[in-house]
Amino acid sequence: MSTHGRIYRSLLWLYPREFRREYGDDLVQNFNDMLAFNGVRATWARTSIDLIITVPRYRLETLMSEQKSATTINIALVVLCALAALSLTTGISPISTVLFIVALVLAFVQRGALARAIRTPSNNSRRKRLRVSAILTVVTAASLFSYFYDLNDNEISTPSLLLHNAIGTSAMVGAVVYLLVGLFTPREPASSKTV
Amino acid sequence: MTKIEPNSFLPLPQAQFHVLAALTAGEMHGYAIMQAVEDSSAGVVRMGPATLYGTLKRLVDFGLAEEIERSPAPDDDQRRRYYRLTGLGERVCAAEADRLSHLVRRTRSNLRPRLA
Repeated sequence: MSTHGRIYRSLLWLYPREFRREYGDDLVQNFNDMLAFNGVRATWARTSIDLIITVPRYRLETLMSEQKSATTINIALVVLCALAALSLTTGISPISTVLFIVALVLAFVQRGALARAIRTPSNNSRRKRLRVSAILTVVTAASLFSYFYDLNDNEISTPSLLLHNAIGTSAMVGAVVYLLVGLFTPREPASSKTV
Repeated sequence: MTKIEPNSFLPLPQAQFHVLAALTAGEMHGYAIMQAVEDSSAGVVRMGPATLYGTLKRLVDFGLAEEIERSPAPDDDQRRRYYRLTGLGERVCAAEADRLSHLVRRTRSNLRPRLA
């Protein structure tokens, strides 16, 4: 193997392990074919751009394809939003800004998995998502009701306010997200089943 | 058994359509696909190795292409993996070609009066 081939093979460590195992030899062989037919400069020019584009993309896809990681990101997203809302209500806006930015980045990362989930027709997933949205709506309503009840009695304390905000905000965000995801999840077409 | 509707895959990402279109010519290995894509797009679409194999992986996962056992030609590298379209892949590729052809016709008819 040429020096260039060896360098390229070592760069393959940047890719997710599964992709590297499945296609590592093919990638190197392809790279060597390009070297033989296109020359060193053209090959590295194309491959460098390819690495820059595909390494972060495949890493993210691997991260998002694991259900456990996706769930962790969902939880982190809700916690970050709740913390951001909390810090807003307590007047620490710089912290809330940072938290919202981090939440936005996570939401962007999550978007791929969400888009894939939404595109897959499934009656069960659709029902499940709409049910979760309904439950979260009830939680939001209960949190709001409890908040106004405390407010009328003039007994609301800062910890109570924070708790109401944390529960109410995260439940409301969750309800809206699950409602949209549920509504956009296509039903399985009746004609798609064949005997 | 569930019959998958080809239209549910549309619109296809550009890289996937180019690879499927290349495979309509017959079974090919990775580098041959890369060259076919470049030729058919007059050099406009140039794939890198990881883009190509990432796309192939996705097409195989979706059941649009498949890897085949193939006895290599005498001058061919035995380690090369060959790919071909599945029946579903052919239907999806045809559906995407129809969609694009309809789009091209409509765009041309809209532009013609202005360019005349």
